[in-house]
Amino acid sequence: MAARARYYDGKVALARDVAVRPASHELLIVDAVDSSVIARWPANELVVLGDTGHEKAPPVARRGEEGRLVIEDPELRRQLAQTMPPLAALSRPPPAAVPRIALFGITLAAALGLFWIAIDVGSGIVAPYVPYELQRRLGESVAEDLVDEQPLCQGRAGLAAINGLATRLAKAADYPHPVSVRIVKGGPVNAFTLPGGILVFYSDLIDLARDGDELAGVLAHEMGHVTHYHAIKGLARQFGVEQLLKSMTGGFSDLGTVGAGGSLLLALRNGRSFERDADATAVELLEKLGLRADGVSKFFERMLEKQPVDMASVTGIWSSHPPTAERIAATRRPATGAPAFTDAQWAALQSVCGPKEKAPAPDRPKGKPSAPPPPTNRL
Amino acid sequence: MSDITPWGQPGSAAQPAPAPLDLTPSRPVYDGKLGELYGIYLRHLTLMVLTLGWSRFWGRTRLRRYLWNHVSVLGDRFEYRGRGIELMIGFVLVLAVLGLWAGLMWLIWEFGFDAQAIPGLGFMNLFYLSIVFIGIPLAFVGQYAGLRYRLSRTRWRGIRCGMVGSAWTYGGLATLLSMANALTGRLLTPLVSVNLARPRISHSFFGTQRFDFVGNAGDIYGRYLGYYFLNVFVWILAIGIAVAAVIAGGMQLGFTAAELEKLATAPDLRAVLLLIGAGVVLYIVFGLMILPLRCWWQAYLLRYLVARTRAGNVLFASAISTRQMWGFMVLNYLIVVLTLGLGWPWVMHRTLRLIARELWIYGAPQGATIGQPQQRGPRFGEGLLDMFDVTGF
Repeated sequence: MAARARYYDGKVALARDVAVRPASHELLIVDAVDSSVIARWPANELVVLGDTGHEKAPPVARRGEEGRLVIEDPELRRQLAQTMPPLAALSRPPPAAVPRIALFGITLAAALGLFWIAIDVGSGIVAPYVPYELQRRLGESVAEDLVDEQPLCQGRAGLAAINGLATRLAKAADYPHPVSVRIVKGGPVNAFTLPGGILVFYSDLIDLARDGDELAGVLAHEMGHVTHYHAIKGLARQFGVEQLLKSMTGGFSDLGTVGAGGSLLLALRNGRSFERDADATAVELLEKLGLRADGVSKFFERMLEKQPVDMASVTGIWSSHPPTAERIAATRRPATGAPAFTDAQWAALQSVCGPKEKAPAPDRPKGKPSAPPPPTNRL
Repeated sequence: MSDITPWGQPGSAAQPAPAPLDLTPSRPVYDGKLGELYGIYLRHLTLMVLTLGWSRFWGRTRLRRYLWNHVSVLGDRFEYRGRGIELMIGFVLVLAVLGLWAGLMWLIWEFGFDAQAIPGLGFMNLFYLSIVFIGIPLAFVGQYAGLRYRLSRTRWRGIRCGMVGSAWTYGGLATLLSMANALTGRLLTPLVSVNLARPRISHSFFGTQRFDFVGNAGDIYGRYLGYYFLNVFVWILAIGIAVAAVIAGGMQLGFTAAELEKLATAPDLRAVLLLIGAGVVLYIVFGLMILPLRCWWQAYLLRYLVARTRAGNVLFASAISTRQMWGFMVLNYLIVVLTLGLGWPWVMHRTLRLIARELWIYGAPQGATIGQPQQRGPRFGEGLLDMFDVTGF
């Protein structure tokens, strides 16, 4: 009988060519050359280690022993599997690759889709229930990182005016937590919302606004972000997506995930849908308070005029906004209602960073008057 | 192949060898199929997403079983008998230890620290800082312990492999050497490579047969210094070319010197585009000049390390070329990155085919003298590796 299997006794590193003879109660392993009996393994103690899906030749062993019988020959494996039930696994054909890849590829894509939806929907549901104190602390730490090299404006009357309007808007939206507005001296022309109802305005934005109603429009937009908990939702999404990517790339380290939290906070940004929600809420809140709601779209127009000069800010990290022209169309309102700020309040806001000359007229775009609307702005 | 020296010099001390040395060359055989590997991998990924990554211990184990059993040496396949649960317990243990560490840090923070002393430093900052601090040594410890675990779960001809020596000693040595290397501008690289390869190789066993490593940093220093200064020169050259290209390109696009000066302070769109262009140029120059040089050195180092390794009367050699090292280091990296990780099986497949093509084994082990090792190997595996060093199978 020709040698048809390899046998290792588990004691020394020798490979022996053997023949195997199945019987009803035992497996006889005999030397391929002189047919001397090498081992007798009782049938009920036989185990196949592994499976044909992973092992090319799953080793056969006697339970509890280190000896191994390796059978490469498919015909012999089939015979053994037929005569000895414990060895049935030997003859199972390995799963066909293509259907398997298709099956798991589709399942994977579906699982990723579900996961994505879960992140999207789940973050919206969970965000309002994140403890306010935690939100606040998060917001404060980001604020420190973002604006620590620029001074905060201290004009009391101006800050009181803008915080007063913010609080009125929050009440109108039934937002249950306090809000606070900070004004940072200088640019860029921007304002953003942090977790915990913290709003940061740059004074360049106030300079660009032509009247209090435009500023109120921006403020109402930011309050839209606040009342929808967009900052926390954005964080939750980032975290979820990061988890997803980590598990996808196989590079799954919990520590790395937590560690990435720092950069994650800085990467706070709201998606297009966030912006649309905030725009809609802005107009709604202003109208609810009986204030002029045309400031929102008017300020966007001003941004649009200003943008071509300010291309650098376009390439910034806040690139997930809808086209400004679309936002203008969506938020355009008639010039009716009470002004958001009194003249005195507006004057106080204009000098909130200290006395200065009359705010200059906004820059006109240089050259290229027909520049296409930039895809983003940072409000 | 000319720089490969067969290891066994006549009269080496640890060589009983009364019989004439059998030096029949052979190579490992890898007969895995990419499609099958992808089937296993995609199943693994799917479960990873569904279990938020917790299935990775089992998935990794299945992949190893496939890879190990599709490699054979001298006609006998490797066998991997690790279990997913062992990896998971290892991971949870490390997680628990880190929890304790965080608790300790918190105590220090609360009671031993004047919180106002360093403005802006919060508890979490302190914790991360401490993790970075202990993470580097622990990653080395984890590498060694992970190697020990994998060896202990690997069998060939029914005999288990194993590893002795302390992972902590290795971690300490590796940390010190790496720090010293960093402080000396990487001039100690040959010393570090050889002295870290030595414990990893010479503490490894196949059954009762120990591997030996007889490398010496002095052997490769000349080549390394050549590489080192050539590397410096090429960097200067590359940066010079990039700068020249940017300036020339900038002039052609009609940039004035004043505008170029403004680049750093107030970049506008054209300047940003120019900088992006410069980045691309630099990247290409880097890819064409510096990476091949690095692959050249790495291929040389690997050939050296392999040729200085032996197991009893079995000698090893590799003829891996710079170009193959490029495929291993650069292409494989690009495959993983550009496919967002989906290229992993392909990379594993390529790597094993490379090993099968370029690892030469001279002679056969004297199997009758190699027994089963006494130690059973660690009970759990790779926790630290999982935590601090997440690459590889």
